[in-house]
Amino acid sequence: MKIRFWGVRGSIPAPGPDTNRYGGNTSCVSVTTATGGLIIIDMGTGLMHLGNSLMTREFGKGQGKAAILLSHTHWDHIQGLGFFAPVFIAGNRFTVWGPGPYGSAEMLEEILEGQMDPNFSPLQTLKNFSATFEVKAAPTDAVFEAEGVRIRAREHPHGATTALAFRIEENGKTFVYASDVGQPEDGAPPAADAIEFYRGADVLLHDTTYRPEDQATRRNRGFSTYEDAAAAAVAAQVKRLVTFHYDQDYSDDDVDALVASCRNALDVRGGNTIEIVPAREGDELTI
Amino acid sequence: MKVRFWGVRGSIPVPGRATNRYGGNTSCVEVRPNNGSPIIIDAGTGLRRLGKSLMEESFRDGRGKASILISHTHWDHVQGLPFFSPLYREGNQVEIYARQRDLHLEAVFSAQHRAPYFPVPLSAMHAEMRFHEVIEGANFQIGNAKVSCTRLNHPWVAIAYRVEVDGAAVVYCSDTAPFADYLLGTDFVTQAPSLDGPLSPETEAELAHMRAGVIHLARGADLLIYDTQFTKEEYRQRPHWGHSHPDDAIQISREAGVKSLCLFHHAPLRSDDDNDQILAQYRDVVTAQHDKFTLVSAYEGLEIPLGDE
Repeated sequence: MKIRFWGVRGSIPAPGPDTNRYGGNTSCVSVTTATGGLIIIDMGTGLMHLGNSLMTREFGKGQGKAAILLSHTHWDHIQGLGFFAPVFIAGNRFTVWGPGPYGSAEMLEEILEGQMDPNFSPLQTLKNFSATFEVKAAPTDAVFEAEGVRIRAREHPHGATTALAFRIEENGKTFVYASDVGQPEDGAPPAADAIEFYRGADVLLHDTTYRPEDQATRRNRGFSTYEDAAAAAVAAQVKRLVTFHYDQDYSDDDVDALVASCRNALDVRGGNTIEIVPAREGDELTI
Repeated sequence: MKVRFWGVRGSIPVPGRATNRYGGNTSCVEVRPNNGSPIIIDAGTGLRRLGKSLMEESFRDGRGKASILISHTHWDHVQGLPFFSPLYREGNQVEIYARQRDLHLEAVFSAQHRAPYFPVPLSAMHAEMRFHEVIEGANFQIGNAKVSCTRLNHPWVAIAYRVEVDGAAVVYCSDTAPFADYLLGTDFVTQAPSLDGPLSPETEAELAHMRAGVIHLARGADLLIYDTQFTKEEYRQRPHWGHSHPDDAIQISREAGVKSLCLFHHAPLRSDDDNDQILAQYRDVVTAQHDKFTLVSAYEGLEIPLGDE
């Protein structure tokens, strides 16, 4: 599996010279499977740049196919969709697996449709996409298959709502994507079933939106601190921890410091062998 | 008054090295009268940083007042509103002006805050928000400032604003296509329309009427901020997207007799170097034509003082 980061920022894009190194685009990660399948996770503004790069391949000719895993529908996770060039090429095929309220794919599609409402978007409706764009509710009680790999989804608390984490397995290798993760309560240890979901992952990408001191003034927003991420990584005995979804106000230097603190938080918990990989736009990781 | 640019980009924010100098935030311009509260035009992602700066003033104590004029509600013009810190402080007053539509404005803006999209509902914002429905051609007063507006050529309609205060006038004209080839309305246009066919007399008259409205609005303005998302060539490929180009903005500026023209709403993938090159190219054009206005290109942080000190 090859994992590539197209957007690593939380809440809203953060342009400016002080975000150049980590990047200011909102959440979007691509996973290329061993057999060449493409799985896209989340549709933040990073999706536009992923889309432009795909246009030089089979997607430019309307022969592309990908699965899109959607953690939840907050703006920063969907706002790249209208700028994703491959959906305007007939012949391309996309299947979105996301959180269907009450398991309803229709309701999920309606939420995505709302983004294209003519008051807000010149696209007016998803029906104006030329590509095939199928929306499915991701099951949280069973394994499902997309692009030839086995995927599990888990619903975790995210403020007043929930978001999905995804566990992708291929040839005995495991990648877990867990962004926008609220703990049962701010500062509380990760839930036992969350740890089981992350258990033994080769790579755990985990929400590290905040430093603990910043979370104190932003209670119950449904994000993790680097302490939460380190605790989860150690408890689940993962091999690598990817820091992700940095607060929009953090400069590159702030993120450097957050990553160093996270390293320390792993070490003090006995996670010395866990490698830490800070997500940076454009970086690629191979499992 | 002072005009300050907080977001100059069109369509979608574009962080990254290629946009460091002009900036990657979407449309937001602050008009600050000498003695008065800020009049903000459009609420793109640039509004977030403006909000932080306002929180260093009376807005921090819940005593701030601001008005926001919305050209239209496409995402790149409203997306900063949920991140505008003054709205989270009780006591602040924010007046929002936008074009009247079928749905009440409060309902339109609430949609952005609905639970599946954003964690904080509009009704839970602590500041006092009031919505004012504007129709094209309306004149109204904000403090000492006189505001007028006219219709633009954009899908689902945008409006341009003129703000006059402290002996100067600034005109904000974004988003709009030229008023020559194609009339944009509520239909979704799948294919780029041909620019060669003749227009129906009705369409031609409506476009001419709209253009005259813009010239009238911009007449003698000290600063005209204009949608120049496209180059002329790009416009010919996408005339149905509702954006203009520098040649058109220059022609409008000549006819309206403005003192300064500001290129604005830069395309997302336009790099800083591209923007430099476009500005240099068109500065040569206005110099060669002996045009009486100066030409600038908007960048984040650009501040232009106008009128009385």
